[in-house]
Amino acid sequence: MDPVSTATASPSGLLLAGSVAAIAASLWLLLPKASDTVASRRLGFLLGAVALVGFAATGRSLGSVGEDAVFLTVAGIAVISGLATIVTRSPVYSAIWFAMTLAGVSGVLLVLGAQFLGVATIVVYAGAILVMFLFVLMLAQPSGMAPYDRVSNEPMLAAAAGAVLLGLLTLSIGRLSAAEPPSCCRMPSRAQAVAAAAPADGAAAKADESTTLIAPAMAGGDTGDANEVAHLGAELFGRHLFAVEVAGVLLLVALVGAIAVVSRGEATETDHRREGR
Amino acid sequence: MIPATMLTNALLVGAVLFCLGLVGILTRRNLIVMFLSAELMLQGVSVTLVAWSRYHGDWGGQVLVVFVLTVAACEAAVALVFVLQAFASTGRLDASAWQALREENLPRVIDHELPADDRVVPTWPHLSPAGVLPEGDDSRSLERDHV
Repeated sequence: MDPVSTATASPSGLLLAGSVAAIAASLWLLLPKASDTVASRRLGFLLGAVALVGFAATGRSLGSVGEDAVFLTVAGIAVISGLATIVTRSPVYSAIWFAMTLAGVSGVLLVLGAQFLGVATIVVYAGAILVMFLFVLMLAQPSGMAPYDRVSNEPMLAAAAGAVLLGLLTLSIGRLSAAEPPSCCRMPSRAQAVAAAAPADGAAAKADESTTLIAPAMAGGDTGDANEVAHLGAELFGRHLFAVEVAGVLLLVALVGAIAVVSRGEATETDHRREGR
Repeated sequence: MIPATMLTNALLVGAVLFCLGLVGILTRRNLIVMFLSAELMLQGVSVTLVAWSRYHGDWGGQVLVVFVLTVAACEAAVALVFVLQAFASTGRLDASAWQALREENLPRVIDHELPADDRVVPTWPHLSPAGVLPEGDDSRSLERDHV
């Protein structure tokens, strides 16, 4: 039995198809292109609002979006700002809309219960990466609006492709919620895993230390308790210590590489000496 | 642990952000906006990973998002250096400025018609003068004896 045909037969499938069509048309109308008028952009905004309502309704049929007003608000901020990020003509406004997206995503992460990542998104992305983007924009942006900001490559095809991908993802998410997860894919809770592993590893002194760090977190069987940050840190520096070291090396390599690429074009003092000799 | 309805809603938000970033990186020609779109896709993936992590009660997804943040920082640093170098050699932030690198059989991007630059020129507030304009001839006002 074909999941697509069964889904389109139901009203929620029709709603999803309508939302996908609306979001494709909205993206196409909003993206910068040659035949651009104020009226078409307004129509694009209108269609975008319709598509957003349609997707919220799809989410309601999947779960129940309406019961959590905070989640709906921050998710709406993230999605609307993300849309504005890619359709705004001016790249500076684009970067500022992206900062709003980060605020929304951070809110979503906080609602989901990932406190450390919610804060880290603001600190690392909005505080460091986005400021770097803005610096480059101020260094490199020509005055006025550049012609290449007013047109885009194949807006119709790209909008259709993005909307179809979104529809497929929504369909698979809907099937996910319709079916109970099979027992094979139900991960055993970490509490059981640690409890099972602890007696075996008890002989190793190092494993013993990390287990005592992690075990209290898993005792409750929940990743969303009050000591979320401490437990994430224990997990990060316990099980994933090697990966943390590799990430540190990666940061160092990126730093050295960036400086090397920037300074390659400028002659150093030794170069001058070699020239003179 | 989060309920399954929250999981699907968060996955939906992640999917929307990912698709928006995809459309942005496919269509926009400004190099900076293309990188912002890539970061948007990373945000969508981060939301998805955190939702799964909270649903399963497993820390793996959140640890992965920490590394996504790290790699995104490295990527932004290196990529922006290359963007600056590209800007220094062409004077434009245009991806199509490098279309000489394309495959032989691909058509050339030519801007046939450009839309009008219909930015709204900002109108600054007009400040009404406070007080009365002092009378007197200009020559007197240039003398410095009454400062």
